[in-house]
Amino acid sequence: MRISIEHQLSVTPPAGTVHAVLQVMLTPINGPSQSVDSWSVEMPGIGNAARFADAYGNSVHLVNQARPEGTLLVTVRGEVTTTDRHGVLGRVSGEPVAALYKRVTALTRPPVTLYGKFRSSKDNRIDILHALMARVGETLGVADAGEQSQTQMSADGAQSQSQGTASGQTARPPASAADLAHAFIGSCRALDIPARYVTGYLAPGGPEAEDKLTGFHAWAEAFDDRLGWIGFDPTLQLCPTDRHVRLAAGLDGLTTTPLRIVPAGDGVAMQEAVVSIA
Amino acid sequence: MAENPPFDEMYNPDGSVREPYRALAQWLEEQPDKALTLMQSDAEAIFRKLGITFAVYGSAEGTEKVIPFDVIPRIIAAQEWRRLSKGIEQRVKALNAFLYDIYHRQEILKAGRIPDKLILQNEAFCPEMMGLEPARGIYAHIIGVDIVRVGPDAFYVLEDNLRTPSGVSYMLEDREAMMILAPDLFQRQKVAPVENYPENLRRTLESVAPANASASPNIVVLTPGIYNSAYFEHSFLADQMGATLCEGPDLFVDGGKVYMRTTTGPERVDVIYRRIDDDYLDPLTFNPGSMLGVPGLFDAYRAGNVTLVNAPGTGIADDKAVYTYVPEIIEFYLGEKALLQNVPTYNCTDEEQRNWVLSNIGDLVVKEVHGSGGYGMMVGPTSTKAMHAEFRKKIEARPDNYIVQPTLALSTCPTYVNAGIAPRHVDLRPYVLIGDEVRITPGGLTRVALKKGSLVVNSSQGGGTKDTWVLED
Repeated sequence: MRISIEHQLSVTPPAGTVHAVLQVMLTPINGPSQSVDSWSVEMPGIGNAARFADAYGNSVHLVNQARPEGTLLVTVRGEVTTTDRHGVLGRVSGEPVAALYKRVTALTRPPVTLYGKFRSSKDNRIDILHALMARVGETLGVADAGEQSQTQMSADGAQSQSQGTASGQTARPPASAADLAHAFIGSCRALDIPARYVTGYLAPGGPEAEDKLTGFHAWAEAFDDRLGWIGFDPTLQLCPTDRHVRLAAGLDGLTTTPLRIVPAGDGVAMQEAVVSIA
Repeated sequence: MAENPPFDEMYNPDGSVREPYRALAQWLEEQPDKALTLMQSDAEAIFRKLGITFAVYGSAEGTEKVIPFDVIPRIIAAQEWRRLSKGIEQRVKALNAFLYDIYHRQEILKAGRIPDKLILQNEAFCPEMMGLEPARGIYAHIIGVDIVRVGPDAFYVLEDNLRTPSGVSYMLEDREAMMILAPDLFQRQKVAPVENYPENLRRTLESVAPANASASPNIVVLTPGIYNSAYFEHSFLADQMGATLCEGPDLFVDGGKVYMRTTTGPERVDVIYRRIDDDYLDPLTFNPGSMLGVPGLFDAYRAGNVTLVNAPGTGIADDKAVYTYVPEIIEFYLGEKALLQNVPTYNCTDEEQRNWVLSNIGDLVVKEVHGSGGYGMMVGPTSTKAMHAEFRKKIEARPDNYIVQPTLALSTCPTYVNAGIAPRHVDLRPYVLIGDEVRITPGGLTRVALKKGSLVVNSSQGGGTKDTWVLED
C-alpha cells in the first residue's frame, strides 16, 4: 500500500534564546515492512543539519538555529510503500542486539497484576504475547484519538502518567496509545522478553473505530528467538498491518521523542498528521 | 583482621633495609636533626605557592584545602614495576574490549559469563552508546587503577576508575616539590620520570581525534567550573598540555560540529577531555536540567564529528558489582589469566554469603556499589558497634547495593609524622593513557593514611600523598 503523510509540529523557544538546538526524529527508514519513496523535513536550519543514526538505528537530524524568532515550524511529508507482514519484521541487520530491549526504564514499570499470571505460562511466546496484548487492552481501556496526541508530546518527551493505574478503572482518563504501548513493553520485559517502543503513522482504510486513530501513532514490538521482531499494537488490538508506517524505535516514548529542543520553552505542539492512501 | 603485621615496604622483619630503599635509608641517616621538619614546612610553602587545593564536600571549615604531602618518597623497584605495569596493561586492554562488546554484540552476555541483568539494568550502562564506533575502538582513554600491596609479591586491584579519574596533578606536583626539596636524593639513584605525563596525554588525545579533524587537532578540557573539587587539576592539565580550558557555555554545536567561542570567532573543537559526568554532558540527550553541558554535544559525537574522552558509559566497566567479574573479563577477551588479583569480594545477594558477612561485619569493609571517594563506606575494625549495626541493617535492606571485602593489611611506608618517622598505610593509583599506544606513567599517586592505624587513604578522609619513585635498572 502506498501511504502519503504530511505532519507539522511547532515549537516556540523562550524569548531571547541565543542558540536553539533541536533533535528531530521524524524520518522513516527502509525495512522489511516498508520502503520510503520520498521524504522531506522542512524547518529553519535544516540545510545545515547533521544527520546520523542513533543507538537504536533511527535516522535523526541535529538542527541548530541562532537567535530563533517566534515559532519554529517543522513540516515532514513524503510517501512510503508498505507491505502487510502480519507484524513479523524478523531480524534486521544494523539494529542493536535484542537483549538491550530488556532494560526497564521509568516509563516501563507496569504493576505486576498486569503480567503476573503469565509468569508460569507454558504457552509458546507468540501466544503469550497475544494474550498479553489482550490483557493490556482490557485492563487499561482503549485510547481516544484526541487524548493521544495531547499526551504524546511535551517538551521533555514525558508521556501521560495514567499508565500503571490498573486499579480504579472508573476515575481515570482513557489510556493513550503511548500508555498502552508502555504497559505492554514493560510487561514483556518483566517476563524477560525484549520489547521496544515504536512511533509511526496509522493510515485510514480500516474499520471506522480504527480510522478515528489515523495519524501519529505508537505501538510495540516484541522479540521472539525464532521469528525475530514482531509488532503488537495494543491500541488496535492487532499486529501492525500495511496501514502502519514505522518512524522510530527505542526503549520507550522518551527515547523516540519526535522533536526535542534546548532550551525547552513552552514545549512542542503537534498538529494532527494528515495520513492518506496515495 | 590479618594476624601478621602489615608488610613494611622499607624494612624487612629482621630490621634490615629492603633493596629499593637502601639509598633513601642512607640519605635519611645523613640528615641533620630537624632537617625533615624544615623540609615539611618548605613543602607546605611550595604547595601553597603552586595553589594545589581540593574541596571537601560537606566540610564546614572552608572548602579549599591544601592536600597534606609527606616528604619521604615511596619507592618501587624496577622489577616490581615491570610486573605491575604488565598486569595494568592487560587489565585496561580487557576493560576496553569489554566496553566495545557491551555496546555492540554483547557476546559476553550471550555466553552467560556475566548475568545480563547486571549490565542491562545497571545505572552506569548507557544505552545511547549502542553501536557507536569510537576512534580506534577505545572508550576509556584515561584510567586510574587503584592498587594495594599486602606482601613482597602480593598486589591487589582495589578498583578501576574509568570515568574521570582525578589526582594526576598531585602526582606531578609531588614530583616537582620533591625535586626542589631533595635534589641530592635524585642524584643517588635513577628515578623514572613522570613529568612527561601532560605531553603523553596530549599525544593520546590527538591520536583519537575524529577522522575528519585537521592535522593538528584542537583539544579542549571541559570542566564543570570552579566549584568542582578537581577544578585545580582541570586548569593545571589544560595549561600543561597547551589546551584551552572551557566550560559548557563556551562551546556550541553548529551543523553537527562543535565550536568554541573565542574573541576571534568560532573555533572548531576536535577532542574534548571532559571532566563533567555523563549525565550532565548534554541536556538534549541526557539530564535536561543540566546547565554544565553543551546541547547537541552527544549527537555531534554520534555523528563522528568530535571525540569525547572518556566516552560516556565507561562507568559500566568500573561498577563495583562488575568489578568481581574482571578476571572473567580478562579471560574472555584476551584468553589469558589475570596477572593482577582482585580483592576477594562477597556477594550479599547470596543468602549464605550474606549471613556470613552479617556475623563477621566487624572484620570486613563494606562499600556502596555506586559510592566513591571513601563516602558511604565502613571499615569494620575501626568502626563502632553502632556503625556495625547500622551497616548490617543497610545490607539487609538492600543487599545488592553493597559489596563486602576482607580488611586488607595494606602495606606501610615510612612517613614523617609528629612523632618522627613512622609506618603508615599506603595505596597506589597508577595512571594509564590509551590511544595509539598504551602509556603507563611509572609509579602514580601514592596516597597515605596519616592517622596511625587508619586504612582510609582518601584525601577527603584525612589522607595525604607521597611522591612515588620507580627505580630504573
